[in-house]
Amino acid sequence: MSDSREQILSRVRTALAPLKERAPLPDWERELVILREARAATDAWTLFAERLKAVNGTPLTAISELVTILDSNGWRHGYCDPVLWPQLQAAFPASFTVETEFDRTRVDDYTFGITAASGAIAETGTLILTDSGTSRRLGALAPWVHVALLRRDQIFLDIPAAVAALPQDPNVIWVTGPSKTADVEGILIEGVHGPGRQIALLV
Amino acid sequence: MAKQLLDQFTAHVPADTRAAVYLGTKTTHEKRTKMLFDQFADPNRLRQLAGEIKQHVVENLDTYLPQVEAKLKANGAQVHWAATAEEACAAVLKIMQDRGATKMVKAKTMVSEEIELAHYLEKRGIEALETDLGEFIVQIDKDHPSHLVRPIIHKNRREIAQSFEREGLGAYNDDPETITRRARQFLRHKYLAADVGLTGANFVSAESGRLVVVTNEGNSRFSLAATKCHIALVGIEKLVPRDRDLGLFLNLLARSATAQQLTVYTEFFSGPKLPSQPDGPEEMHVIFVDNNRTEVLASDCREILRCIRCGACLNVCPVYRQASGHAYRSVYPGPVGAVLSPLLAGAHFADKADLPKASSLCGACNEVCPVNIPIPDLLLRLRDKGKREYAPLASAGTPPMGGWSVIATSPAAWKTALFGGKIMDYLPTKFIPVPALQAWQAKRTLPKWRGGEFRKWMKNRRKP
Amino acid sequence: MDLSHRKLPGTDKRVQLMATCLCDAFYADAARATVEVLEYIGCRLEFPEGQTCCGQPAFNGGDWAASRKVVRHTVRTFAGELPVIIPSASCAAMVFHGALLAFEKEPDLPEVRQLANRTWELADFIVNALGVRTWPGRYDAKVAFHRSCHSRGTETGPAALTLLSSIAGTTVVPVGEAEQCCGFGGTFSVAFPNVSTSMGALKLEHVRAVQPDLLVSIDMSCMMHLGGLAAKEGKPIRTQHLAQVLRDSLKNGGLL
Repeated sequence: MSDSREQILSRVRTALAPLKERAPLPDWERELVILREARAATDAWTLFAERLKAVNGTPLTAISELVTILDSNGWRHGYCDPVLWPQLQAAFPASFTVETEFDRTRVDDYTFGITAASGAIAETGTLILTDSGTSRRLGALAPWVHVALLRRDQIFLDIPAAVAALPQDPNVIWVTGPSKTADVEGILIEGVHGPGRQIALLV
Repeated sequence: MAKQLLDQFTAHVPADTRAAVYLGTKTTHEKRTKMLFDQFADPNRLRQLAGEIKQHVVENLDTYLPQVEAKLKANGAQVHWAATAEEACAAVLKIMQDRGATKMVKAKTMVSEEIELAHYLEKRGIEALETDLGEFIVQIDKDHPSHLVRPIIHKNRREIAQSFEREGLGAYNDDPETITRRARQFLRHKYLAADVGLTGANFVSAESGRLVVVTNEGNSRFSLAATKCHIALVGIEKLVPRDRDLGLFLNLLARSATAQQLTVYTEFFSGPKLPSQPDGPEEMHVIFVDNNRTEVLASDCREILRCIRCGACLNVCPVYRQASGHAYRSVYPGPVGAVLSPLLAGAHFADKADLPKASSLCGACNEVCPVNIPIPDLLLRLRDKGKREYAPLASAGTPPMGGWSVIATSPAAWKTALFGGKIMDYLPTKFIPVPALQAWQAKRTLPKWRGGEFRKWMKNRRKP
Repeated sequence: MDLSHRKLPGTDKRVQLMATCLCDAFYADAARATVEVLEYIGCRLEFPEGQTCCGQPAFNGGDWAASRKVVRHTVRTFAGELPVIIPSASCAAMVFHGALLAFEKEPDLPEVRQLANRTWELADFIVNALGVRTWPGRYDAKVAFHRSCHSRGTETGPAALTLLSSIAGTTVVPVGEAEQCCGFGGTFSVAFPNVSTSMGALKLEHVRAVQPDLLVSIDMSCMMHLGGLAAKEGKPIRTQHLAQVLRDSLKNGGLL
């Protein structure tokens, strides 16, 4: 393959050689791409919650609300990050089965997965997940419901701020609402391969 | 006179396909425009800026490619280079064989379509399964995508339901939700059984070596949660200079493609998974693909390498709306495809030389392009190339211009023609054996000839 | 397209008129109206007799060698320093943009550029060079305006709308999908008859939906296509060049 490397790079150099000058790299002001709403926001969580709802996500501020939603939908078997479970356990009635190990051979058994968010972006209603912050990639993706626990101080107002703070993590993923498709006749269907329900719980 | 292939194709597009393509593209285009103009003070400034940044990258690939290679390696990824489609396919196969892998799950990547990867692997006994819902349906139907972002914009739910029934995915049911649930159930077990997850990349930051992949369905995420090896196929033009530039491009991409602020999943990969993370690839391979891109770079159409494959130009294009994607006989349809496909065909340019003609040059594509590619100018340059290289497909249906240029450079001959043309008003013009005249009159009347009347008036009037 | 550098007329408002081949052959009255309108606002017109065509048909058709011959003829015919006014966004765009592309690698590019830099589409010239923003007279009609595609990225569309909507008695009705092409496209209309006429049919549908008294454009080529389609269907529509509306408004107001 090193032959191909040399071949490609030499073709690139040959192609560019006749250019008398190269296009310069323009600089740009981050304000250009920040939405009015983000500039005017006084509370990051309020804006985040509003934008998350706009993409059919569910912002919550109390564990009891989460338990009610799960219980009323019959979603009682799930996975939870083992680090988070001790602080949540007390709120879940005995009718729930919550595992702190995710067994990939029983992927359909889990109706919900609870993991920690590594951050959020308010102007887009986006949750940020990372390898270092998310206990299991599969646990946050395969169940129908994903619940991300988020702290107020983790919320960035806008995309440029979140980009500037991209962590040294091999896997950073921004999740904006439930998984969706419009492939069939342009009709919006949620819950394709990932969660059909995306919940952010403020802790 | 030979006919244009795309025009012939258009005449036979079924009415419901045309209606679906028209509605799908029009709706997305209108939402896109409203969103951009509602949310930003000057979206055109953003498009211009993004275009300048990509043009800078394209013209400095000799610097950025080695730079991003070093970054990727430092991040723990393995970097491969493929000069041709064949080399790219072979590189993927070799990585799989070295791991003893036999099953791949694929996210949507246009470059894999371009190199016909799935077909190549299947012939060699490897399962290469498309996981994007649209691409999955294309695959089971042995069809081709007809839109960059909406691969099955040409299919209706009844056809899809029939395909699912045929493939044993359940009794006939054309409810889109049922179709989606069935695909979800079927594919999640495929992810879990697969050895390798393949993706493309929407952007690669030369500064950090981060690959960015955007999806709505979560299929790429699932591929890379369930498998132990990640292969990314990346066209050499996919770079952006700095991480911070991603803030601009991510703001433009989803809005332009699907009128979303962001796609549901925006993934940044910079290497194999963290050792503490139980799920995900232990190996990451990045294959940089040339496949005639360096030839495009050497041409006077290199601006097309700015393209970020959003499909906005398809959605606004009146020709694409009438003809639909398969009319372009190429992986890349629509205005961008009419430029890119003939160029990527390399030595086989003549086979696609008609595509640059398939445009009224209305310029709507340029007006919506998030990287401000002057598509009409590039189409025109390729028309010139087609003519200079005597490509028969290009000249089909275009009236010859030699005689016209002689008359139009001689005022005396011009005036004679103007006054002589009067005869047109008295002749049965639909029988005059000039193909262009006949083509015009088949569907439109010809206005009355008034040749020279204006000149006569100018000459005879009393000057004010 | 940056057109900010274009040459303004002198105080004597002397200009050259490029009438276009289409007006020369079919639409004599549109050219005549252009003259009357420009003279009304004080322009002194020169009409170079040797003019033929801007060279666009061959340029769009891919025969750049043939096109360059015609462009060179046009450059010679319109020699001098005066602004050149064209009652067509399409021909104007050929002169100030297309010709530059066709001459990118030619030694006489500077001469072509010299003409490009003083070329104006009519409505743009009236509004942005002469500063006329309200049009006198009277014209009682419900008007649909077709922004021709070659005016994209220029000031022509807004300028034409400024003039039209300022006329007493004229109502401009918005047409659906205004940004969509009518399907003419020069040689495209004969090389791609199916696509071209489908596009035209759609445009006509949008126009008819708002029931205008007439369809106005700054390009007679679009009108030739749309008008020809409508007539062939047996449901003709009335089409006019912007200059004709402006001229008739003056006449109706007793100003001409």
